[in-house]
Amino acid sequence: MIGGLFIYNHKGEVLISRVYRDDIGRNAVDAFRVNVIHARQQVRSPVTNIARTSFFHVKRSNIWLAAVTKQNVNAAMVFEFLFKMVEVMQSYFGKISEDNIKNNFVLIYEILDEILDFGYPQNTDTGILKTFITQQGVKSQSKEETAQITSQVTGQIGWRREGIKYRRNELFLDVLESVNLLMSPQGQVLSAHVAGRIVMKSYLSGMPECKFGINDKLLMESKGKSSLDDAGRGGATGKTAIAIDDCQFHQCVKLSKFETEHSISFIPPDGEYELMKYRTTKDISLPFRVIPLVREVGRQKMEVKVVVKSNFKPSLLAQKVEVRIPTPLNTSGVQVICMKGKAKYKASENAIVWKIKRMGGMKECQLSAEIELLNTNDKKKWTRPPISMNFEVPFAPSGFKVRYLKVFEPKMNYSDHDVIKWVRYIGRSGLYETRC
Amino acid sequence: MPAVKGDGMRGLAVFISDIRNCKSKEAEIKRINKELANIRSKFKGDKTLDGYQKKKYVCKLLFIFLLGHDIDFGHMEAVNLLSSNKYTEKQIGYLFISVLISASSDLMKLVIQCIRNDLVSRNPIHITLALQCVANIGSREMAESLSIDIPSLLVSGDTIDSVKQSAALTLLRLLRTAPELQMGEWTSRIIHLLNDQHMGVVTSAASLIEALVKKNPEEYKGCVSLAVSRLSRIVTSSYTDLQDYTYYFVPAPWLSVKLLRLLQNYPPPEDPSVRTRLTECLETILNKAQEPPKSKKVQHSNAKNAVLFEAINLIIHMDSDPNLLVRACNQLGQFLQHKETNLRYLALESMCLLATSEFSHEAVKKHQDTVITALKTERDVSVRQRAVDLLYAMCDRTNAEEIVGEMLEYLETADYSIREEMVLKVAILAEKYAVDYTWYVDVILNLIRIAGDYVSEEVWYRVIQIVINRDDVQGYAAKTVFEALQAPACHENMVKVGGYILGEFGNLIAGDPRSSPIVQFQLLHSKYHLCSPSTRGLLLSTYIKFINLFPEIKPQIQEILGSKNNMRNPDVELQQRSIEYLQLSSKATADVLATVLEEMPPFPERESSILAKLKKKKPSSVAETAIETTKEHKAMPAAQINSDGQPTLQISSPSSAGSADLLGLDIGGMSAPVDSSSSGGGGQSASDLLVDILGGPVPGGIGGGVGVGTTNGLDSSGLTVGAEENFLKFITKLNGVLYENDLLQIGVKAEYRQNLGRVGLFYGNKTSFQFTQFTTSISCPGQLSTHILYK
Repeated sequence: MIGGLFIYNHKGEVLISRVYRDDIGRNAVDAFRVNVIHARQQVRSPVTNIARTSFFHVKRSNIWLAAVTKQNVNAAMVFEFLFKMVEVMQSYFGKISEDNIKNNFVLIYEILDEILDFGYPQNTDTGILKTFITQQGVKSQSKEETAQITSQVTGQIGWRREGIKYRRNELFLDVLESVNLLMSPQGQVLSAHVAGRIVMKSYLSGMPECKFGINDKLLMESKGKSSLDDAGRGGATGKTAIAIDDCQFHQCVKLSKFETEHSISFIPPDGEYELMKYRTTKDISLPFRVIPLVREVGRQKMEVKVVVKSNFKPSLLAQKVEVRIPTPLNTSGVQVICMKGKAKYKASENAIVWKIKRMGGMKECQLSAEIELLNTNDKKKWTRPPISMNFEVPFAPSGFKVRYLKVFEPKMNYSDHDVIKWVRYIGRSGLYETRC
Repeated sequence: MPAVKGDGMRGLAVFISDIRNCKSKEAEIKRINKELANIRSKFKGDKTLDGYQKKKYVCKLLFIFLLGHDIDFGHMEAVNLLSSNKYTEKQIGYLFISVLISASSDLMKLVIQCIRNDLVSRNPIHITLALQCVANIGSREMAESLSIDIPSLLVSGDTIDSVKQSAALTLLRLLRTAPELQMGEWTSRIIHLLNDQHMGVVTSAASLIEALVKKNPEEYKGCVSLAVSRLSRIVTSSYTDLQDYTYYFVPAPWLSVKLLRLLQNYPPPEDPSVRTRLTECLETILNKAQEPPKSKKVQHSNAKNAVLFEAINLIIHMDSDPNLLVRACNQLGQFLQHKETNLRYLALESMCLLATSEFSHEAVKKHQDTVITALKTERDVSVRQRAVDLLYAMCDRTNAEEIVGEMLEYLETADYSIREEMVLKVAILAEKYAVDYTWYVDVILNLIRIAGDYVSEEVWYRVIQIVINRDDVQGYAAKTVFEALQAPACHENMVKVGGYILGEFGNLIAGDPRSSPIVQFQLLHSKYHLCSPSTRGLLLSTYIKFINLFPEIKPQIQEILGSKNNMRNPDVELQQRSIEYLQLSSKATADVLATVLEEMPPFPERESSILAKLKKKKPSSVAETAIETTKEHKAMPAAQINSDGQPTLQISSPSSAGSADLLGLDIGGMSAPVDSSSSGGGGQSASDLLVDILGGPVPGGIGGGVGVGTTNGLDSSGLTVGAEENFLKFITKLNGVLYENDLLQIGVKAEYRQNLGRVGLFYGNKTSFQFTQFTTSISCPGQLSTHILYK
């Protein structure tokens, strides 16, 4: 039950203000600005309680989105809503920036009226919203059309309208994963997990029903009991099954079927959507290892050596590899030597940034740097922040695999074989850090 | 690119404009990080930075620091800048140091050395920069290491005037951080700065000298005559003489004010010539006030009045020349009707001081009517407050009745913030100048009626003390109180006074059928249920006294005492009182009752407790009243003032007294419950409260029993704070800890059976050592068998 929603620019000026409930007063807007945006200490917590009022905020570039409530709401729900809101706005007018928000404020208020009702989140699916909130001027709809929209939005399958037809039936499936890691200097994994998303784009005619198979341990085992064939295959390929800690589906997935038959079946929305989100913590294949070596030579000098090892099939290529090595605050000069890629000391970020465009599997790269330090009055020792890394690899580090994706559409004249399906795996770095 | 003129630093200007153009905080931090790294590499790298570059980077660091970021390098470079010969570089260096370097930094020694070099240099600009830096930082270390250089600069013949000015002010600053700084040999030469040609030097020297004088008046006595002659030169000069130092036609107002203040540190000069000269000065100042203003500008009158008020302050301070005092008073009288509120305020304030002087008291009294109108018509509450103060100060026996009347009348509409103080003042004045005590009683009862909430306990304690001590007003008081109580709604304080007085002297008005005993009782009881427990307790005491005074209404009172409401009151005090009084009234014979419930004996004369309260409330403004009190009354020792009506203050006792001593006392205390229990319920705790109310050693409380006597003894002779707490415990318990400190714990255990009692004392050694030569001495009141165990 969100009481109100505010959007601020970086200066704390209110761009959008929508209050849904009476318990949120006018001063709530100012309270958030004063206590969070203009706070002397940077506020890191996304939830702030000011005078018995809770403020949930997310920041996109320079824009602050804050949801306000006086009640004890489910914080996860509020953040989910805020992220959806961001997604909806992005799909309507692209990047979220002050100018874009100012130019589209009428639209934003319209959206806000639609996706929140008395503080309760409603349908936030962009595809559906776009059918009745358009950026083009008001085009008068015929009675039939309005009736159709109403029946669709309120009907059983609110996310897909009938009568869609494509010449080519296509399906795109992306497995996007982000790997998070914290490693000790000795190479011990302190914490690691993968957050994955399955994003689909479907261009299918009619009202098709899809079945989706993945290599989840649970699903595989239950299948194994029912059919020997499957179990045999599972056994042959060794440890293909992975343990998914928790997952979450798009509203189109029939949860009852998932519960009883352990199968993921759904009638897909048209266009792009996120079918599933999941998280794994076990048996993660870490694509890179960073081996740091920091030596302080007296008070004036420091030597840093960093080795990056790639740890995946040699046939694959990692892209956009970037290693960020923090430097002490009293750095006065840096000399860097690296065999591969480009490395540069960025004073504004207090770090050496080492970029490698492409890197094959089972390779090793090395960088060595000499850091000159200035004597300071400050007796505090340097805290040595961790070395972080960014990359993109063409596989799923969790070991996630799509086993099948079948499409059934009895009414139209195409079968599963006619559908063109594309599957792609992308593994990205989340917070990928090694202590030094 | 921002335009940079002449000597400006382009890099700095670019950096600042970059920062101002930053869209977000993150961008700003990035820009600053970049700049810091750049400066670090510059400072680290080639050592060939020229002065300009150093200055530029130090400036940037300063700017970054002022933006709120930590700067932990560059200090050395800043100190290097100090040794530059260029003004701008030196200036930036000093600026950085005064902003960024903490007094405890290691670099301070170096900085002080640089400062000293500059101080001894011949270049006045460098000296001034160094002085400025010292004045800005003003650390103790600087005070110690520069305590010779600066005074020598100050008195040396060849320093230029502006440097002398700075030196004087810098020295003043150092003197404030390190008051122990000794001028020693410089004393006389510093004093002679008052004779300097340059008025600026004299002005700053006057400030310095005043600070020095405050510390050590004897040593600087010589400044008096110099100050007087300087003052007379200024005062007698026409406004064209001083040129730069004339401010809106007033010659050197700041210097005059400072000199007049300086003179206020000393008694009137003894040398007759100096004295006449000073008197002439003051007269001239007063004369000038009468002249028509030379300018309509507010600055002119402000400057003139500033000098005038300071002169009046000096006149009041000297308090010797009646003529001047009266003239000052007349001058202030004119200001009382001035249209400027600030002036009226100041006039009232100064007059308050004048009123305390015996010479001008009469003169002040002439303005009484004006002050009273001021009290009633002023818009600003602070001015009204001053008016109240002045009325209080000018009050004496002749005008007391009128002033008190006016104040009472005003009290009804007075501002809430000054009400309490006014109430206290009215109460004090009424008491102090009361010729006729019926008037006094009237005033106080009016006071309670008008502003009951602001009447503190002390005020009504005092009424009761006075009424009890004066036979002649008792009847009148009882009658008035009775009438006042007939109002449908009266303040609780009124009920308290009424209850007490009727309880004591109700019989004096009982003859009148309109105030017959039963009417009195019913009147009081009609208020009973509206009052707080403490007042109810007091009323219960009144009722028991009524039983003694009017035996005919005994049944009605007993009925009230025995009512469920009282017998089972959740308040223990009320419960106990009603039960004990009921028993007392039903068991004791008329004789016993008569002795127990005898009229209160007169109180010993002592200073009004209200005055003490007023002093506590406003320590500063009551100074003058204190002087007066000593004139009017015989001076009382401070301890007694405290012990008046303030039960909590009484128990400030010799906690350092030996344990054996205390023990002796405590045994005395212990006997209290024994004795009172044998006397059959003397209502000891009940009498406690009355004893408390009346404060101090009141011989023979209501109870009159032995128990009460001992309680009194205890109160007056004092217990340690902890022991007093323990004593309260013993009222309900038979054993416990009597005394405890780090070394020793003394416990007591007692048993009582009929007329026999046994008291056991336990000594606990809390240290790890053995006690040697441990002796106890016990004085036994009555038949007590003691049994002492110790280990």
